Parts: sequence; structure tokens; C-alpha cells
Amino acid sequence: MNIIMILYYILCAYIAFLLVWNFIKEKENKDHMLHYLLVLVPLVLRLFRIK
Amino acid sequence: MAAIIGLLTVWGGLQLHRHRMYKMPIVAGPGVTRVVRLSDYSPGLKKTPGDTNVFFLEGKEKGGTVLVIGNTHSNEPASLLTSLILIENMTVEKGTVIVIPQFNYSGGRNTRPGDGYPLYFHIPTSWGEKKFRMGNRDASPLDQWPDPDVYIHYPDRQLLSFLDVRNTNRTWPGRPNGPLMERVTYGAMQIMRTEGVDLAVDIHGAETMFPVTNCIVAPEKSIRLATMVSLTVKAKEGFDSHVEPSPSGFRGLSHREIGDHSDTLPFLLEAPIPFLDQPTGPKTEKLLLDGKDPFLLKLAAKQKLFVPYDEEGWPMSKRVGQHCSVLLELMRQYSRKNPDRAIQVTNVPAYAEVIQNGVGFYYHDPTEADKRNVHYN
Amino acid sequence: MPLNGNHMSIQSQTILILVVMCAAYALAKRRKLSVETSILAAAVGGGLAGAVMRIPPLADLPRHLIEGGFTYFDVILVFTTATIFMAVVSASGGVNYVVRGTIRLFFNLRLIALLVLMIIILIPGALTGAGSVSLLVVGAPTALALGYLGIPKKRVAAILFLVAGLSAAAPPVNIWAMIVSAGTAIPYVGFELPLGIPVLLLSTFSVLFLGWKRTEKKALAEVLEEMPEPPPGMSGWRVALPFVVFFGLVMMYRIWPFATPILGLAMQFVIAAVAAWLVSPVRINILILSRDTVKRLLPLLTTMVVVGMLQQIMTATGVRGLISFLVISIPVVILFISLAVIIPVSEGLLTYGGAAIIGIPLIWFLDSIGLHATVVIAGLSLLWPLGDGLPPTALIGRLSVLVTEYTGSYWSFLRTTWIPWLVITIVGILMVVFSAKLDFLVRWSM
Repeated sequence: MNIIMILYYILCAYIAFLLVWNFIKEKENKDHMLHYLLVLVPLVLRLFRIK
Repeated sequence: MAAIIGLLTVWGGLQLHRHRMYKMPIVAGPGVTRVVRLSDYSPGLKKTPGDTNVFFLEGKEKGGTVLVIGNTHSNEPASLLTSLILIENMTVEKGTVIVIPQFNYSGGRNTRPGDGYPLYFHIPTSWGEKKFRMGNRDASPLDQWPDPDVYIHYPDRQLLSFLDVRNTNRTWPGRPNGPLMERVTYGAMQIMRTEGVDLAVDIHGAETMFPVTNCIVAPEKSIRLATMVSLTVKAKEGFDSHVEPSPSGFRGLSHREIGDHSDTLPFLLEAPIPFLDQPTGPKTEKLLLDGKDPFLLKLAAKQKLFVPYDEEGWPMSKRVGQHCSVLLELMRQYSRKNPDRAIQVTNVPAYAEVIQNGVGFYYHDPTEADKRNVHYN
Repeated sequence: MPLNGNHMSIQSQTILILVVMCAAYALAKRRKLSVETSILAAAVGGGLAGAVMRIPPLADLPRHLIEGGFTYFDVILVFTTATIFMAVVSASGGVNYVVRGTIRLFFNLRLIALLVLMIIILIPGALTGAGSVSLLVVGAPTALALGYLGIPKKRVAAILFLVAGLSAAAPPVNIWAMIVSAGTAIPYVGFELPLGIPVLLLSTFSVLFLGWKRTEKKALAEVLEEMPEPPPGMSGWRVALPFVVFFGLVMMYRIWPFATPILGLAMQFVIAAVAAWLVSPVRINILILSRDTVKRLLPLLTTMVVVGMLQQIMTATGVRGLISFLVISIPVVILFISLAVIIPVSEGLLTYGGAAIIGIPLIWFLDSIGLHATVVIAGLSLLWPLGDGLPPTALIGRLSVLVTEYTGSYWSFLRTTWIPWLVITIVGILMVVFSAKLDFLVRWSM
């Protein structure tokens, strides 16, 4: 794995962290909570090198 | 809510993970004399997911050399099935046949988001079903990431779609230190240069609505031989495989770059694969294997397809049989014109035999075979 | 069973699944759920309906949904990083600085001001093939500048939507044309003039039509007074440097493609964002800023994920095939007219997926009846960006409204675009119909 690819995984982890942070902060809107989780799915699977 | 999404993600993720990790056994037949790695020719591939097995089938007598490439696009599986028939059955009397059954190995472990393919397909054999991964046209981003905003072809600088940086039929002739897929095509170019390959045959499948289907694509230097082969299979075996000239302005394709960057004569074989057409019913394993689709049948009646299409569809055995016969005829015609570089092979079924026996008839049970002859890729 | 017997059943199955998808969408909307959740409902509903007939089997449904969620994965990364980059530039006071400068220089030269702003919007999209990048990078400052030129927000949003859309169609990078070219084995060459000329003419028309009239007349001094002051220490080079870094990285790969490592758009934006952060005269908390940016982008990011899921389910169940079949079964003359609806709607529904599903078979068919494929693709490329204003995705439309901070209804914004929309549609369709006569544009490009 080259350095640029590693940087992309770090970028994914950063965006995933931001989504989780927002998800935890979001206490009212169930629709928004669902959306945070949906966007998280591909990021998490990429981080685990599943897809 | 989080638990449900988590559960579904784990469920689906596991299926995708198992697909990526599934290793398909190939039983090397009596004709295989050695198995090497593509990285032996392109060191930049060592310990990367771009590396793949290269099977050598060498005759007792010296002669010409043919390179057969399967799974350049891993969602066109007739190419892999044809390559396996050669590896598991063919014996070479004169000359050498080199087979790379899973050329874009990373693409074979990839799936195609948005296109709803099945993960596997199964070919019935006398000893049970042989299971194959259904791959993607492009290499996996897990192996080559990121894509550029636009792919600039080496060395011609033609602008191609960003996706084509992972498409091993756009990255020819490749570079030793380029992106992973350029290193893959570079490896094949090095095989052609160092092994003195006379003919290179890149096997594909194309949609029935695509004008360049059911044909042999050949550049100027190969077109005479391709025409002879096309006429002969039509006369002798009764199927069409017309000749399409390789466009000189479209870079990165095997039939263009191999000819321009080596002494080898390139050919790209296309057989119809209705599964890849856009206007079809559900993308099922059945459609992949039998090629029967009611929407295509209607379009055929309106003359919107580029191949004859009836209620029989376009079964896998017909596609694989065509590839076998065209390949055999290419070797035969070339050997006749170049006796000192002749290639003589046996135990490769022709069109009618594959249709009669089915593709699975030619595959051997890996559990019964000598373990030294079973290769996983 | 004969295939014709099956035909009815497969056709009925796919129609039934399509009906279930529409019903699930409608039901979700009735329960006041968002567009994104409603699209998800349509995908899940379609998948469950398909599972009854084992197309695909129920056990495969989660895999299809999450695999579909990856369809626009890279677009998600680009959107996020580009927006964070622009948020940093904005927080540093750079946007205010540029807008003030533009207004001071060109306030009394309206034609030049409008054309300069148009070119500024066209460049990022033309280089990257994504109108969204234009809006994310230069959308906010140009929207402000257009506003200070006396154009109401609704019209500003309309200008941004049309020009950013056309920028994606502009050469050198047009992703619709690239997808269709790759799928039809037509070389992606010779597009410069067939794309460049109509894009420039139509952008100019759109900008002048919507922006020429000044609704409120103010003196320059008065306008400058109203505008927020950039923070002390802000200067031209501090604003320019991050953009120079970004475009420098893009151009570096174009000029030295074989010596430059492939960074990808997302990383290029990250590097530019770091540059903007480093030269900012005010301290910026990058963590809070990124968190808020992701929150603001949530509807767009979710749309990309759920549209991918919907696309995957539509294909696996045969619904996508049914739609593609219906389109290419239309008689030629009616087909030409219906392009005005089919192409934008397919883009609105599937974004780039529309180019693959409908564009590829359409080009094969039109090529076979003697039209010039390259010019046809160029003509269709003018229609695809219009679809980026149509729901359910409405990517460019929603971004235009977002960066303009227009608070009126979405439809009132979209209605404002109707005359340029019509002109663009007519030009696009005429290019398709008379493509064989326009082939000199391709020859001159090569």
C-alpha cells in the first residue's frame, strides 16, 4: 500500500469520526440520525477493507 | 436503528468479504509444464494484488508461441472458462502456449456497485458444481486507489475516463512503475518481448447491442489472418465471428498497443454476453449462463441488436465454444503460413463439442487431483 | 417454457416491483419523511418485492443495499473535502476579500463583470468534470458578487445552477461523455469544439438573460459599505495561494502525467485546505469547522448513498432494464423530442448512472442509424446537467440554493431557469438530430 492510499484511509477515518460525532450530538431528529448511519456504512466498510 | 443497520452491514459485508477471499482451484492438466507469476516479468507486481499465475504449456518440438489472456474484464466470464479448458486439457505437440486465466486478478476479486451482479456463478460438472467468482470490469479500489480526475494514457497522453486507470484493456502497453494495472499490462508486454510471442489472444465478451460484438478485433498487421480465420470458422463450423478493424485513434486497448509496441500479432475475441446489456430483466446467474432475456428478444425483433438472437438466448457453451474454435483456427492458419513457427495442440474441444458436452465436462475435480497440480488464484 | 411465455411474467414482475418502489416512496413522503429516507424506502421496498420472486433472494438483499451504497463513494469524498476547503477559505475571510475586489474593479462594467464571474464558475467544473466542484470552490464568492451587482438571490441561484451544470459538460473533462465513450468504445477525442462552443454560447446567454437586469440600483460606495470587511492581514496572495495549490496540483498531473503521483481530487482538496488554513490571518478550529461542514452536507451525502442503493436494487430486479428497454423502443422521431424529458429525468434519478443506463444503448442505436456518435454525445451532454436540478437527487440545484443562501421554495428557484433551460434543450436536441452535418466540429478539434 503506498503513502497516498494510506492518506485516503486516514481521510475516511476522519470523515467517519465527524459523522459519529454529529450522530452523537444529534438527539432530536431521527431522520438525520438514520442519514449519519447510512453515510457511515460505506466509510466503515472501506476502512475495514471489505469493499 | 443503529443495531439494525449494523447487523445488515455485517451481514452484507461478510458476503462481500467472502467473495473477495474465495480462491478458485485450477487443475493443471498434462500439458502444463510450469507455472510462474506475472511479477517474474514485471517486478513492480511482486507481493501486490495485481500479481497472477501464468501457465506455460510447452511442446517437445520448438515452434511458435501463443499468449492467451482471460479475464481482462472479470465480468466477461467466457474468457476465464475458455482459459481453464486450455489449462486443464490441452497438450502442446509443437511450440508453446502461455495462458493467463485471471489477467486482472484484482478485478476478479471486485464487485460492481450499482449493477446488481450475483457474487458467484456455478458450472455443472460430472463431479458437482464448480464455483466461480463473478468479478468486475475494473480492478478493486482496495488494490489501486485513488483514481485520477482523468486518466492520461501512457505514452500517448490521450484523455480517458478516470475509471480506465483500473481497466486492463485501457492501460496497455503499461509501465514498470506506473499505477498497478499499468504494471499488469507491462508484465504481459514483457512476456511477449522476452518469450518471442507470435500471437496474443485477448478474450472478451460484449453486449448484443454493442456493434463490436461476436467478432475478432485486429489491427492492420493481424487483419489478414483474422479474416482467414473468420471465413474458415463460418464455412467449417457454421458460426459467425466477423472481423472488426482496431481503431488507430483509440489508445490503451490490447489489440492496438500490443501490435504497436511489439512484434506480436494481437487479436481480441468478442462473443455476445446478453447479461451485460442494459435493457435486460433481472441480473441473475441464470441470465449470465443461458443468455435468455425477453426484452432482448423483443429488441431483436425490432432489429436493434447486432447479433442474431432467438429464444435459445446465447448460452455459455456457445460463447466458450466459439472462443475455442477461433483460437484453434488462429493457431492452425498461422502455422500453415509460418511452418518454422508452427504451434500444434491437441485435446482442445471445438465449437460443436463444447455445445454438445457443456463447458463443465472439461473441468477436473480438484479434490481428486494431485495437490501439486492444483493452483489457487 | 417458451421465452415468449416467460416474457409476460418477467415484464409483469418488473412492473410490479416498480409499482412497489413508487408506492414505498410515496408512503414515506406521506409520512413526512425526507427525500433521502423516501429513496431508501423505495430501494428497500423494491428489494423486498423482488425477494418474493427471488430476484434477488432475501439473503442477498443486505449485500445489494450496502454494495449499492458504494456507487458514488469517491464523489462523497470529493464533496466533503471540497466543501471543507471552501469553508476554510470562507472562515479565513478570503471570500469576502475576493467579492469586495471584484465589485470594486468591475462594478460599473456590468458585461465584463458578468462574463468574468461566468468564466470563474466554468473553470473548476471544466477541469474536473463536476459542476458540484465549481459550486463548492467558487460558488459562494461568485454568488455574493452577483448579489452585489443587483441580482436577486433566486436569479443568482439560477445562474449558478445553469453555468455550473454547463461547466461539467465543458471540455476537457466531461464525465457523461467519458462514461458513454468508455461504454461504446468511442474514443474520448474530438470533443473540444462540439462541447466548448455550445457551452460558452449557452453560458453567456444564461448569465446575460438572468443577470443583465439590475433590480436595485446602488452606488459603488454604498455597496462597499454594506459588504463585510475582510479581517485585518488578509491579502491577495493569502486568498490566491490555496487556489494556486489546488489548480497547480490539477495542472501538474495534466502537464507531467507520468512523473506526477496520482493524488485524486479529494486529496488535492485536502492539501489546498491545509494551505488555506496555514495562510489564514485568523485562527480556525479545523475540527469544529469540518464537523459543521459534514452536518451541512448531510442531505447531499445521504442522497449519494441511497441513490446508489436504489440503482443497485433497480438493476438486480430488472426495473432498470425495463426502463432502458422502454426508452430504446420509442420510435426515432418521438425519441428525439422525448430526449428533452428522458435525459434530464434519468440524471435526476440516477445522476451519472443515467448516462450508463440510457446513454450507452441510445448511442449504439443512434450510431447505427447514421448519426455522428461524438456530436450526439456532445448534444446529450448539454441535457444531462439540466437533470442535476431535478429531484430526487437535484445535486447541483440544491448546491446552488445552498451556496446562494436562497430561502424561497426550491420550485420557485427552478422555475426561474425555464427560458435558458428551454434554449439549452433545443440546442442539445438539434445537435443530436443534425449531428452528421456538424461532424466538422469533431474534425477541427483533432
